[in-house]
Amino acid sequence: MEEKVNIELKQLSVGYQQQGEAPLEVLKDLNLSAAPGEMVALIGSNGIGKSTLLRTLAGFQPWFSGDVLIKGRSLKILNARETARTMSFVSTEIVRVPNLTVFDMVAYGRFPYTNWIGMLTEEDQYIVSDAIRKVGLEGFEKRPVMQISDGERQRAMIARALAQDTPVIILDEPTAYLDVSNKYEIFHLLQLLAFEKKKTVVLSTHDLNIALREVDKLWLIAPEGNYQGAPEDAVLKGWLNQLFRNEHIGFDEQEGEFFFKKDFRAKVKVEGQGLPLTWTLRALNRKGYQIVMQAEPDFRVRAGENEWEVILSDKTKKFNSIYQLLAYLE
Amino acid sequence: MSAIKKTEKITIGLQFFVLALLLILFFMADLLLGSVIIPVKQVLLAFFPSAETSETYRTIVLDFRLPKALTAVLTGAALSLSGLQMQTVFRNPLAGPYVLGISAGASLGVALFVLGFSSSLAFGVFSATGALPLAMVAWLGSFLVMLLVLFVSTRVNDIMTLLILGILFTSAVTAIVSILQYFSSESMLKAFIIWTMGSLGSVTKSQLAVLAPAIGAGVLLAFFKIKDLNAFLLGEDYARSLGVSIKTSRIIIFLSASLLAGTITAFCGPIGFIGIAVPHICRVFFKTANHLVLVPAVIITGSIVMLFSDIVSQLPGMQTTLPLNSVTALIGIPVIIWMIVKNRKFVSV
Repeated sequence: MEEKVNIELKQLSVGYQQQGEAPLEVLKDLNLSAAPGEMVALIGSNGIGKSTLLRTLAGFQPWFSGDVLIKGRSLKILNARETARTMSFVSTEIVRVPNLTVFDMVAYGRFPYTNWIGMLTEEDQYIVSDAIRKVGLEGFEKRPVMQISDGERQRAMIARALAQDTPVIILDEPTAYLDVSNKYEIFHLLQLLAFEKKKTVVLSTHDLNIALREVDKLWLIAPEGNYQGAPEDAVLKGWLNQLFRNEHIGFDEQEGEFFFKKDFRAKVKVEGQGLPLTWTLRALNRKGYQIVMQAEPDFRVRAGENEWEVILSDKTKKFNSIYQLLAYLE
Repeated sequence: MSAIKKTEKITIGLQFFVLALLLILFFMADLLLGSVIIPVKQVLLAFFPSAETSETYRTIVLDFRLPKALTAVLTGAALSLSGLQMQTVFRNPLAGPYVLGISAGASLGVALFVLGFSSSLAFGVFSATGALPLAMVAWLGSFLVMLLVLFVSTRVNDIMTLLILGILFTSAVTAIVSILQYFSSESMLKAFIIWTMGSLGSVTKSQLAVLAPAIGAGVLLAFFKIKDLNAFLLGEDYARSLGVSIKTSRIIIFLSASLLAGTITAFCGPIGFIGIAVPHICRVFFKTANHLVLVPAVIITGSIVMLFSDIVSQLPGMQTTLPLNSVTALIGIPVIIWMIVKNRKFVSV
């Protein structure tokens, strides 16, 4: 089967042209790609150059060498209007324009298609309304963008990108300001849109645990090099452990989550079952106690339904919450 | 953008109708009111050469009040429009027509001309030929600044850097003007101060023939960039991602704003606060961010406000007049304060 590719980065080198200084190369030898319908998460530690890469892909700054191909055509040969019909971009910047309604903001997406004065045709109006409906903002058309919540505004920005009707949508940290439920909703929405409209969605994010569950592909930029593949591939091949220079951050392959490696204070053996056991283990882990199975523990904890016991050199003490248990151990 | 629904279209049409009526009303009032009281009938008769009316009245109406009223319309429209453009491009609610240093450039031209030649015989030349040479040097000054700004803006990407450069340039010019003032004679100093007070009355019919086409060109350029102005509201990143060629677009908008503000400053002196206040009035009145509505709105509203300022500065029925700049400041500043208090946070345009 022939592999369909929507966006392809070939030997791409990106960075900044500095005035009076040598150009600063931020990332090089990038060979990454994504297919239509895929949601790709660009992940990497702070300052590694995620934003620079996204801004380059959006056409804001030239790249040093290599090429970016959209549906096989180089981004380099496109003019401003053509680029705007190929790539849409959602930045981290919060738009604050008084008197601007949600409809008008989404309508900005039709900008590369409208005439010199910006008149919307009936088709444009339909596309805008459709985009608003797709992100679940029906009924918000006349609300001013300055009077909606962060989550709603982010949806409106996504609707705007959708109305721009480009094969590739790029989002720089779309979930940065949002609460957990909104983070999940935005990820879910983007995935749905990518799949339904056969668009490629490329986003950068620091919500790694959510990204691992929701995205189709990772573009992983680590200090040692870059990788691409399904999130599950990244786990199995151990790429995620290379992500951060900080030796304290590790990836727990069993739990599928990142965790902070602590220096252990004492060894503890825990008895119990079900949820009380799970969460007692987690609490002790958080406080820096090493959980042991076979080795000789410094003390033991017995986790019951509504009762916890600490057994320390034959003395037993009872508690009725994890909080009290931890306070005692301190 | 231009998602104007039918009901909204009717509302906007109605608002423009009201504005147009006000414009006609104030234009008529400006012709009627002045230090000499002329009956309404005589004013109307003055427009018909065959009609019988006193020659004095005819001269006052046709040669003084009519050019002055037309100048007021052009001035208000030009300053308000360039203020709107600057507020949008710089995304700064306190930006006005003069942020690029245009007024400073004009002041430098006038200061060099009036004060620099104070020891020579140039005064005689200046007073003999009237305000036109003054306008010419002011124009020259503001356009040299404009070229400088355009040159810098092709090299500097950051909009805030441009804003700061404009402010610094204005300060530098003010310093030079202060030095010139210090060394100049009393009569020349007075001539310069009077220019800085602003005046609509010094523009003659023949000068209007220069003023009007220049303003027309500036307005035309502004209309041509309405779509891009809308995009600039979202910030330069978004404007770029929507396909706006930032540099080209910015240069054309600066050209328009400089042409508008520079020409007015040259002929009428630096008139303050109209350019900042009128766009805010229009945003409140029309409740829109769309420049397709705002551009014509500020043109008409600016004209009305300027006609009103002119009527006030004439102190109808009295022999003295107030400095125009003081009147526009006293009208403009309360509007800006009201905006700040009403909006609490004055964060954006």
